[in-house]
Amino acid sequence: MIAENTQTQMRKGILEYCILSIISRGEIYASDIIGELKKAQLLVVEGTLYPLLTRLKNNQLLSYTWKESTSGPPRKYYQVTAEGRAVLARLDVTWKELVFAVETSLQGRND
Amino acid sequence: MNKTIIININSIVFHIEEDAYDTLRSYMIDIKKHFGNTAESKEILEDIENRIAEMFNERIQTGRKEVINLDDVQQVIEQMGRVSDFEESEAVTVEEGFRDEQQTRQAPHVEYVGKKLMRDPDDKMLGGVCSGLAHYFGIEPVWIRILLVLFVLIGGSGILAYIILWIVMPIAETRADKMAMRGEEPNLQNFKKSYDEKAKGFSETLSGAGERVGSGVRTAGNLVSGCLGLIGKMIAWIMLIFAGLNLLGLFIFYMFNMMNFFGLENPMFFPPLKGLATNDGIIALTFGFLAIAIPFFALFFWLIRVLFKTDKINSYLSLTMFAVWIVSIVAIVYYCIAASQDFREESTINVQKNIQPQEIYYFTEKDIRVLDASEQDSLKSKFNIQLDGQDLRNYLHRDISIYFESIDSLSQPYIQYSYSAKGKTYQLASERADNIAYEGIQEDQTILFPSHFLLKKNALDRDQRVRVVVYLPQGAKVVLQRNIESKIRDISYWECQNNYPNGGQQKYTEWTMSSTGLLCAQLPKPKKEEEQEEKDEVESRREASLDNVAIEKDSVIHIDGSNVTIEVKDKNVKINTKKEDS
Repeated sequence: MIAENTQTQMRKGILEYCILSIISRGEIYASDIIGELKKAQLLVVEGTLYPLLTRLKNNQLLSYTWKESTSGPPRKYYQVTAEGRAVLARLDVTWKELVFAVETSLQGRND
Repeated sequence: MNKTIIININSIVFHIEEDAYDTLRSYMIDIKKHFGNTAESKEILEDIENRIAEMFNERIQTGRKEVINLDDVQQVIEQMGRVSDFEESEAVTVEEGFRDEQQTRQAPHVEYVGKKLMRDPDDKMLGGVCSGLAHYFGIEPVWIRILLVLFVLIGGSGILAYIILWIVMPIAETRADKMAMRGEEPNLQNFKKSYDEKAKGFSETLSGAGERVGSGVRTAGNLVSGCLGLIGKMIAWIMLIFAGLNLLGLFIFYMFNMMNFFGLENPMFFPPLKGLATNDGIIALTFGFLAIAIPFFALFFWLIRVLFKTDKINSYLSLTMFAVWIVSIVAIVYYCIAASQDFREESTINVQKNIQPQEIYYFTEKDIRVLDASEQDSLKSKFNIQLDGQDLRNYLHRDISIYFESIDSLSQPYIQYSYSAKGKTYQLASERADNIAYEGIQEDQTILFPSHFLLKKNALDRDQRVRVVVYLPQGAKVVLQRNIESKIRDISYWECQNNYPNGGQQKYTEWTMSSTGLLCAQLPKPKKEEEQEEKDEVESRREASLDNVAIEKDSVIHIDGSNVTIEVKDKNVKINTKKEDS
């Protein structure tokens, strides 16, 4: 139970950080984000992404524009807002701190 | 060959096979339930639908087909993920994110503090007190409700408790309240859980596939209770309690009557049952109980069903109950007719016994419930029954009436006994009459009449009666003891007794036999004397109380033995008769 909980806590922050990072590379469509996340072995199904995107958008970290599509209805293309970039910059720092912390903690462990 | 349905997702039209449509629809209902019904979830659902439409479109274009089949739908669902997948990953992703936001909006306290005792408006009969308590104790509400009904039955304390709790317990209005009531942590998942309960059909979002699927039973139940309203519910509750009490009362009555048949004596015995033999009595009593109890039972169960929305009673059981009820009614009618048949014929046997002539005849009652040893033996030989105080009551009958008639002054006095009984045939009635044992006992001047007569063991109650006529010569003096008064007919014992100066205290009355019957020997009290007596009494009382009397205002006479002190304050006079002893 505790192990699961810790795993959950670890993945939770990382997932949002990764999504923000993926989108910050440039305008991107939701199913392409899924592709990237699948490659990184973080998410498996598309359905879970939409609530996350909606929440980040509602927190003004993301915005989207409608674009015509050749294969069906218009698509939402997401981009990171200025606020989103600021948050991302802060998260970058935090991540580096975390990596340092974890590596330092792991040093000298023989397994 | 397959039937196809045309659906419309976000303004794009698709042809879809029927089985594929069913799968898609149930999937969308699941998703809708999962995400709930906020502006936010609407957007999420739109995104998902959009994506589904896009994926369908891709398939039609690449596959060069026109109809979406089950395979396509399953693949799309696979890609989009099932609700169970969402739940898994949401535990990873979303949970904490919404938490802060939701908490600031709906729950003032950040920390989870345990369950709160609140009324549940979503699962209520009256005020949701029971379900609130059930949430608090983590049990099914029905147990609390049963407990409440029990407390209502035991002196109605449940009603008071319910009203107090209704007032004291706050209602769980917001979702945060409801979660606190259930003891859930106020996070997104639980919020979603509570949204689920309010999930509506998703016809607005998936217009083609839109078909409202409410959670059937619950909606129907709410509808019924809504129609009933509070007043209807109150009436139903009162009726439920009434029916329950009736059932309980009937059962107790039944058990106690049964105990009588099985030799456990108690005063609760339905009188008509005495007219039946034990075996018949048990059957008649059981049928009678069923005939009355089954309708109450049916009412009780029906009310339980309405109030607690429980399942319908098994139809076999209800049919059986109905059949038993019909049989019971028929049986009761049969026993009524059979028993009344047993009272059709009446027989009377007359027996005449001479008594020794006396100047004064004393009539008194002998309470045969008080037995001495020799009598016990004689009863044993006569009726073949072993008696003690308890057993005796079964064989005792007290339908005895005593009359007095006059005969010629020189004739021999005698007593005529008439024993009557009823039966199906005259012969049976005669046999029963013959079995009555009752006779007065003369001891010189005193004639004793037993208080009761006896029937043989197992003799049925068939209106057995004893009529006693005492024929006495004119001019004979008669003294009637008060204990025999209840058996005396035709003359007014009490009127005569009231003629005596000490009225109710008088233990006997004296009579004289005239040509028309017994006359009270005591003349009525003269009225004037009575008044005079009263006057005297008042005066003597006044004298006695003359101890401390105010004659005029502020004037006091004080009497203390031989000393009298008179004080008249106005004139400042004080008289004292006390001797000044030196």
